[in-house]
Amino acid sequence: MIEPLRISFVVRCDPDHAFDTWTGRASSWWPPEHTVSHERNARIVFEPRAGGRIFERTAAGTEIDWGQIVEWDPPRRLRYVWHIATDPMNATDVEIVFRGLPDSSTRVEIEHGGWDRLGDVGQAWREANHAGWDGILPSYRAGAELRS
Amino acid sequence: MKLKANKGDPFDALGNRYRREIVELLAHKPRSVQEIADRLPISRPAVSRHLRVLNKAGLVSDEQLGTRRVYRLEEQGAEAARRYLEDVWSNVSVRFKLFAENTRPRKH
Repeated sequence: MIEPLRISFVVRCDPDHAFDTWTGRASSWWPPEHTVSHERNARIVFEPRAGGRIFERTAAGTEIDWGQIVEWDPPRRLRYVWHIATDPMNATDVEIVFRGLPDSSTRVEIEHGGWDRLGDVGQAWREANHAGWDGILPSYRAGAELRS
Repeated sequence: MKLKANKGDPFDALGNRYRREIVELLAHKPRSVQEIADRLPISRPAVSRHLRVLNKAGLVSDEQLGTRRVYRLEEQGAEAARRYLEDVWSNVSVRFKLFAENTRPRKH
């Protein structure tokens, strides 16, 4: 299995506000350079339920799907599949846990995994048998080998 | 944190079937545009366009060998992909944190 990317940080607000900001007000803070349209005023929508869509709506009204909610458990946990700017078949998994701390701040733990679904590329890397690849994403290689 | 302006997104680059096939072909050995086009159901100019995207994303590089220009997999490509993603997430995290902390409800 390919090792997921993990990021965690503390935000000075309670989990309710953190969850609500992440899902309900992404339009206000999501970096425009990481949208598909790159429009500054694109709307970013998380439909608030399991199965809900995550998408970007441009000023012209075009909707561009980014993913789908898998688990909607406010204010503690959010899971979604993510295929921004790529085929849905290349979707990866994002899990975000909002952990309340005693000082009423919140630890946000992000885990982004599911890389083994890009398996054909992993396979190619394995076959290349480049010494230089050995140090790079070692578990990517392991994932490709498990499938073959 | 902002990406270097000329850097493409490696995950965008791999989000296309033909580009993934090109990566696979180059994994076996370096090849010219013509050699790649011979093995795919797309034209030579289309192969060149895909190679440009892969090159911009740091996944392939090219080299002039005598009269031939060959493309090869860039060994640092996977590392570039991972670094790119870390940049995206830290950018997202910083902006989220700033916004959340400056909009939190006042406590009385």
